[in-house]
Amino acid sequence: MAIRKTLAGQAQEREARRCASKVPLPEFPMRLARIPTVLLVLGLTLAGPARAEENNGDPFEPFNRAVFAFNRVVDGLVLKPASELYGLTVPDPAKTAVANLLDTLRAPVVFINDLLQGERERAGITLSRFMINGTLGFFGLFDMAAEFGYVRHREDFGQTLAVHGIGEGPYLVLPLLGPSNPRDAIGLLVDSFLFDPMGYLASTRARTVRTATSAVVTRYELGPSLDELERTSLDFYAALRSVYRQRRQAEIRNGAPPSDAGYEDIFDETFDDMLSEDAPAVE
Amino acid sequence: MKPSTTCCPKTPLPWNEPAVGGRWSRRSLLLTAGTLPVAAVALPALAARSQEAAVFIRRMVDRALEILSRTDRSREARIAELERLLEEATDLDLIAKLVLGAYWRKATPEQRRRYLQLFRKMIRRQIAANISRYDGQRIEIVGSRDIDDRDTMVRTLVYDSKRDAPYRIDWRVRHSDGRFLIIDVVGEGVSLLITKRKEFGEIVSAKGIEGLLTAMARKIEGNDDPPRARS
Repeated sequence: MAIRKTLAGQAQEREARRCASKVPLPEFPMRLARIPTVLLVLGLTLAGPARAEENNGDPFEPFNRAVFAFNRVVDGLVLKPASELYGLTVPDPAKTAVANLLDTLRAPVVFINDLLQGERERAGITLSRFMINGTLGFFGLFDMAAEFGYVRHREDFGQTLAVHGIGEGPYLVLPLLGPSNPRDAIGLLVDSFLFDPMGYLASTRARTVRTATSAVVTRYELGPSLDELERTSLDFYAALRSVYRQRRQAEIRNGAPPSDAGYEDIFDETFDDMLSEDAPAVE
Repeated sequence: MKPSTTCCPKTPLPWNEPAVGGRWSRRSLLLTAGTLPVAAVALPALAARSQEAAVFIRRMVDRALEILSRTDRSREARIAELERLLEEATDLDLIAKLVLGAYWRKATPEQRRRYLQLFRKMIRRQIAANISRYDGQRIEIVGSRDIDDRDTMVRTLVYDSKRDAPYRIDWRVRHSDGRFLIIDVVGEGVSLLITKRKEFGEIVSAKGIEGLLTAMARKIEGNDDPPRARS
């Protein structure tokens, strides 16, 4: 099967490499070098060359599963109850307002990443949204911009790196933060400490409140899907790993349908030959 | 920085999709959904397979929503009808085989038969567990695109009154023997088929095919309880 995959896969990789060589990377800010986590993450990247097919792109699976188990305990004790409380006590219009406010606070990060990805039109949408919602929308509580046809979208530095050809590297489950990989973890650091104006302007307390609210709201919004996945999966960890990767790929493509190279080899016609029910088992 | 649209995988593929969102595009979406069947009937010679597939999805989705919204009928009757629709609209056996992927070859004929049975049972359990989650969502077709000489992706948007943004569901439809069958459902970029395949593959590589069959049987047993109430 690996052989069958290669043609399309190789083409895609070549494409990615071509992109990587063609498009200059944004210069890496020195400030980051001081953050030890980055070194740790990079160390993990070097330690685990991603041989995607052999180990599901997850060379640290035992470690990841342990962190995953830890995260689920924390989730069950804190985040899930908090999100359920939020769902039960906060009236729906207020929930929308909270989500809109969080979205407006995030706009600068989205804007910078739109620009870094060369998406001028989307950058314009983000800027318009920020201006409209910050004024007509009462400091971001109402999504007036959507009424004008400026629909919300999200970007982050992990996606920006991906657009410039940086691969995801090995799968990582981060304590408290959940599914990730070196690329997206670095993206998260850059977004939080470098691109986010609140990191410079707001007090620690305000930032903590925002982070906590964001965590609860995200958990609340993901709740039904996560529960569903857990209920229907035989191996929640493996299912979530796959869902995370597919979601990220879709986000990186900005929702465009996958190119065929991104699709799995199982749709090849050659694959059909082996699907008869009475053929003898092959070792 | 120069836009990377010339070479990078981010380049969207041709996809006849109107801009999403806003009042005007909302209206144009309705128009698209309404005119598709007309176009297919009026221009039989020109009607591309992609359009026929879109019409097929429209019909199946409408029937599903019709069944789901008949709350005057008993839960059992609705589940039975949905199961019939599922058999008619999807190729469950093919989906099951694709999920098992290369391991299908390694299974004995007896294991294959058991696997297909268990797979079907699991899907039915999921239908039964989810039937009460329907809450008046509307589904609109926004476009379709032929992927290869037999598969078409039909893109739909689901409007949920509780969320302000619609979410995308893409249906992979296979055309074979003159009829259409759904072989994958992709929600916001997440393919059910690929997710299940990765998950099952992980179990088979750790515990073998017997291990997978045991886990499936156990899951079906465990799901006998009615689903927990949701907030």
